Amino acid sequence: MVTVTIDGKSIQVETGTTVMEAARDLGIEIPHLCYHPELSASGGCRLCIVEVEGRAGLEPSCQLACADGQVVRTQSKRLSQMRREVIDLFVSDHPLDCVICDKAGACLLQKYAYEYGVSETSYDLEVSRSLFQDDNPFFLRDHKYCILCGRCVRVCNEVIGADAIELAGRGFESHVATPFDGPMIDSSCIFCGSCVQVCPTAALMPVSRRGKGREWDLDRIKTICGYCGVGCQVEYALKDSRILYAQATPDAPVNGEFLCTKGRYGWDFATHPERLTTPMIRRDMAYELGLTDEPWHLPDASPLAVQQPKIEDSFVPVGWDTALDLVAQKLADTVKENGPDSIMGLASARCTNEENYVFQKFMRAGIGTNNLDHCARL
Amino acid sequence: MTNSISEIRDADCIFITGSNTAESHPVISYEVVRAAKRGAHVIIVDPRRIPLVRQATLFLQVKPGTDIYVFLAMMHTIIREGWADEAFIAERTEGYEAFKAVVEEYTPERAALMSGVPAEQIELAARIYAFGERVDGPSVYEEDRGHSTILYAMGITQRSNGTDMVMTLANLAMLCGQVGQPSTGVNPLRGQANVQGACDLGCLVNVFPGYQRVTDDEKRLALAQAWEVEELPGQVGLTIVEAMHAVAEGKIRAAYIMGENPMMSDPNTSHVEQALRGLDFFVVQDIFPSETAQLAHVILPAASSLEKHGSFTNTERRVQLIEPVLPAPGEARPDWQITAEIAARYDKKMGVDRQLDYWRYPSAAAIFEELATVTPIYAGMSVDRLRGEGLQWPCPDAEHPGTSILHVGKFSRGLGKFNPVEAIDPAEQPDEEYPLILTTGRVLYHYHTGTMTRRSEPLDWIEPHGYVEVNAQDAAAVGVEDDGFVVVKSRRGQVNTRIKYSEGVSPGTVFLAFHWREAPANMLTQDFKLDPVAKIPEYKVCAVRLENPPEKNLVSRRESEKVR
Repeated sequence: MVTVTIDGKSIQVETGTTVMEAARDLGIEIPHLCYHPELSASGGCRLCIVEVEGRAGLEPSCQLACADGQVVRTQSKRLSQMRREVIDLFVSDHPLDCVICDKAGACLLQKYAYEYGVSETSYDLEVSRSLFQDDNPFFLRDHKYCILCGRCVRVCNEVIGADAIELAGRGFESHVATPFDGPMIDSSCIFCGSCVQVCPTAALMPVSRRGKGREWDLDRIKTICGYCGVGCQVEYALKDSRILYAQATPDAPVNGEFLCTKGRYGWDFATHPERLTTPMIRRDMAYELGLTDEPWHLPDASPLAVQQPKIEDSFVPVGWDTALDLVAQKLADTVKENGPDSIMGLASARCTNEENYVFQKFMRAGIGTNNLDHCARL
Repeated sequence: MTNSISEIRDADCIFITGSNTAESHPVISYEVVRAAKRGAHVIIVDPRRIPLVRQATLFLQVKPGTDIYVFLAMMHTIIREGWADEAFIAERTEGYEAFKAVVEEYTPERAALMSGVPAEQIELAARIYAFGERVDGPSVYEEDRGHSTILYAMGITQRSNGTDMVMTLANLAMLCGQVGQPSTGVNPLRGQANVQGACDLGCLVNVFPGYQRVTDDEKRLALAQAWEVEELPGQVGLTIVEAMHAVAEGKIRAAYIMGENPMMSDPNTSHVEQALRGLDFFVVQDIFPSETAQLAHVILPAASSLEKHGSFTNTERRVQLIEPVLPAPGEARPDWQITAEIAARYDKKMGVDRQLDYWRYPSAAAIFEELATVTPIYAGMSVDRLRGEGLQWPCPDAEHPGTSILHVGKFSRGLGKFNPVEAIDPAEQPDEEYPLILTTGRVLYHYHTGTMTRRSEPLDWIEPHGYVEVNAQDAAAVGVEDDGFVVVKSRRGQVNTRIKYSEGVSPGTVFLAFHWREAPANMLTQDFKLDPVAKIPEYKVCAVRLENPPEKNLVSRRESEKVR
């Protein structure tokens, strides 16, 4: 263990802890662009520089290991000046079109430019990258916003293990690339969108979000993903009750900032036009009940053999009252005639605890059978 | 899981078997990647070269159904070489001698012959696992033995000896003392958002909420009192696959199906369809007109998990709250409201007189409050306590912080029991007529029967149609080009789908996921021999053959694809 003092506050940390990490533990935020708490430090952006007592030079805090008795300052006139220059260099190669940018309000470069009062660049340079790649329905790659922080490359390698992208080229030619700059689909990308999640600027953005609203106007609701059993927490960003995109937040107990492709992009099923919106009774039974005049028989062909089945061909919509009453009546008739064990109930691994509880209570305390299963084995 | 997900990244050795973690549980695979990058050993035993093999330090590619020989041989080696944790065995387990006698028969050489994995690799895996060895980098743990964790999924359980398979992995962990500490344990990765919760709350044939046996008179009586009913059924019910058979015998006459799609998820689809058609009455409550719903008499529209309150329990036993994000479409309602309404009306039809509010729950939270009172492992939970990070069961009282690691210091049954398990081969072996082994599973971009993901634009864009993964050698034998159409036939049925040349499967093995209604894998799987205890079907092994499709069919299907 070593003890360091940062901005006058002391803290004891494990040997090997960086000044950046120790500062975070103290609740001190050191400005940073390429640093990400879940990734290895690259020390590339130079924004996280700090002053160490007894040393002349400035040190990047994300790579500086704490030493016993070390005294660190994260704010000073000199540091502010240096950081302004760093930001100036970044914005010399980054469009300042925040007024129309979807990332505005959530962009780290914008945040620090604001905090350090950098409204324009003092360099007479053009943005060197212009590649715009919209080759997949998951995310867009707009290279002009890229600041080459390398977070996307690191997350893809260090956490996801997909190794789909790499920094390619030199100088003004440098950019984040798939092999031979090919489309994402031809790379080893698994479209988890973790690169989008950690991107500090608008270089990587969800397709679904494009032009749909300003960050500060969005509602945010956290819930648990409905796919596999990992139980990732997902934060949905909504406008007018429509989901614009999904992301994860560092405080998610299981997944932190990471999701898979289904969790991050697979939510649009909920508003698919084929959603069931009204109770329905099959036409033959509806005919028996006098709900329709046309006699009908269930076709022999398997539903699996029909190319695009239309549910309304086989069912008539009814009100809840009619449907619920029919179900209760049929179940009651079956039990009266054949006993409770002639009924089978299938609950669901996609329903909530509360729903499964009520379901099994109905099967057991209502109907009186243990013929009760769900897809746990399937 | 005996342990928690976040512990995986600190493991010294991760032993993965029967789990295609990167595709079925991607976020757990990220934990494995992180451990690997820090120098942990990752050992994978699987019939397929799954994506996570890229991170593995040792990959034992077994012939489907022969992994049991590898596990037994690993334990044989561990005992023979004196690598077992004798102190742990002596203090915390029982039945070791009988188990040891059985394992003696299973040499690595025998396993090599059965599985195709060299004996030296099996012995190496045994040593690395037993001692929790690392490739490099420091361990976060200070004991002599590093920490080894076992991750498994349906590749282990969906077998006619699935229960034996799980007990074998438990034996392996106990043998090396790799239980009851962080980053160890025997960890099933569960495949559906609330499959753990549905089991916890008793949606199984043999247990009430909290795994209280229906045959336990005392527990049954107590629950009957809590529910204010005279009695509860005390006989173990029929599982889903058994029930499908019971329809033909006239024993099952009606079914209430909530959020399930047996037409896609159950083995031997033709038989399932016949059974569903044979029911006097069945009602499906779902969010989409699934293949099963299309055969139902009544369909009830339900709200999806994005549209309601409630809780899910994840694979590490963590109960977490869900929140409504969207309004439910049209007249769709949360499932609990629908079921409770049916129950109330059913009572009336049966002339049962109960208190007016018996089925009238004001909210999901009110249901949780009730279920916590009858589910001992949830007893200390409340909706208020679940906010934020949720709680991991067992959580027996309101002060209990929840349990992140099971079996610490003592097994929940007292002493850990070594079950002497013999190797049993899969029920259906390849023969001349059906020379290939089919194994089924999932792909990354789809989920279960595809009801949701097939209707997600980006996900279906990337995997719009089914395919059978075949080794180029077997594909050449039928003469079908990569991406060409092929017929996969088993004794139960056939599937027309595309072929995908894959080095991931060995010659003699083919793989087909079960997401695609156009290529329903379960037309092929067998339902004649289930695991005798768990009644789980053997989805991971059945015998098939490949055939060229009739030319006419081939052309028309290709054209129809173009139109799509």
